[in-house]
Amino acid sequence: MYSTFLLGDAGVQWGDFLFYLIMFIIMLLIVKHFAWGPVTKMMDKRATKISNDIDSAEKARKEAEGLAAKRQTALENSRTEAAGIIDRAKQNGEQQKASIVNAANEEVKTMKANAKKDIQQEKQDALSSVKNDVAELSIEIASKIIQKELTPESQKELVDSYIEGLGKQNGNR
Amino acid sequence: MFDDGSKIVKLFGLSFNVGNCVAGLVTAIIVCAVLIWLSRNLQMKPTGKQNILEWIVDFTNGIVKSAIPSAQGSNYGLLAFLLFVFIFVANQLGLIIQFVIGDVTYIKSPTASPMTTLTLAFMVLVISHIAGVNRFGFKGYVKNTFLSPMPVLFPIKILEQFTNFITLALRLYGNIYAGEVLLKLVFQMAQSHGILTFIPAMPLEMIWQGFSVFIGAIQAYVFVTLAMVYISQKVEKEA
Repeated sequence: MYSTFLLGDAGVQWGDFLFYLIMFIIMLLIVKHFAWGPVTKMMDKRATKISNDIDSAEKARKEAEGLAAKRQTALENSRTEAAGIIDRAKQNGEQQKASIVNAANEEVKTMKANAKKDIQQEKQDALSSVKNDVAELSIEIASKIIQKELTPESQKELVDSYIEGLGKQNGNR
Repeated sequence: MFDDGSKIVKLFGLSFNVGNCVAGLVTAIIVCAVLIWLSRNLQMKPTGKQNILEWIVDFTNGIVKSAIPSAQGSNYGLLAFLLFVFIFVANQLGLIIQFVIGDVTYIKSPTASPMTTLTLAFMVLVISHIAGVNRFGFKGYVKNTFLSPMPVLFPIKILEQFTNFITLALRLYGNIYAGEVLLKLVFQMAQSHGILTFIPAMPLEMIWQGFSVFIGAIQAYVFVTLAMVYISQKVEKEA
């Protein structure tokens, strides 16, 4: 019991003192060479790598932001372009529609005009033929009337001839 | 009281405590083996055992940084790391194995002997003074360490060096030694009346062992923290 105290009956154990001192120094060297050195080196390396990674990540983030902005503007451009294309297409369609309708109207008009002309022509033809007929008829009637105003004999003759003529006509039919 | 099982051997005119030296050697071998095993196959992306090692390194570096915030601190990382690991393993060793042949204890906590803790504290103190001289030169070191904030405090400052040294060593020794003594007492109680005391002593021993593990960790942390504070007193300019 008493010898565990510093000033026990066996005196101070200077051997222990030296032993621990030397052992600790040797341990210090071993640990430094095999464990502490490599680990701290690795940790330092990792620290620098992480800081580098953070820097490069920052750079990459900035680049990505630039790209995103570019893409945004490109998107906007393409949107306006698309709107322009659609507008133009609409206008074209509108124009085409108008021209088609106009052409149709035009055609209808010309067809109407043609038809009217034709009708007029027909009418004219019909009228002129009627006129001829009327003229012939009136001439015939007139000639008949003129023959009637002759003597009764001649009138009789006329009637007879007429009848005869009718008969002939009937006979011919 | 009981026999502490120390055996003194005289060699080259120096007296060695066999149990103390063997236990210290075992601790040193365990520490070196574990640290070397942990530091094999290091990778940029830490996995498994490398994480353990890096966690310990970060932990002790944190202690150093909180005591010595200037760039000086990085010089003492290895010291703090090894002190912490060594004292922690030494504290736990006696809780795991007590190797006794006859009356002689061969393996116990090395830190349960005042010689061990005094050696470690002495080393820290010497390193702190050397660091102070290195940093400020001898004149500046004397001025910074003993004559500031005012020269009147010189005697107290001198005394403080000794109290620092003694308290640093004896705090660790006392905690661990008391823990082991109580473990032995509980064990003796378990043996004293057969089954009657054996059964209640079992949970008692387990509880105290658990508590000793906790104390061992705390004391390792406290020792390293104070060692770094003492070094910082020598290498940092006092405002």
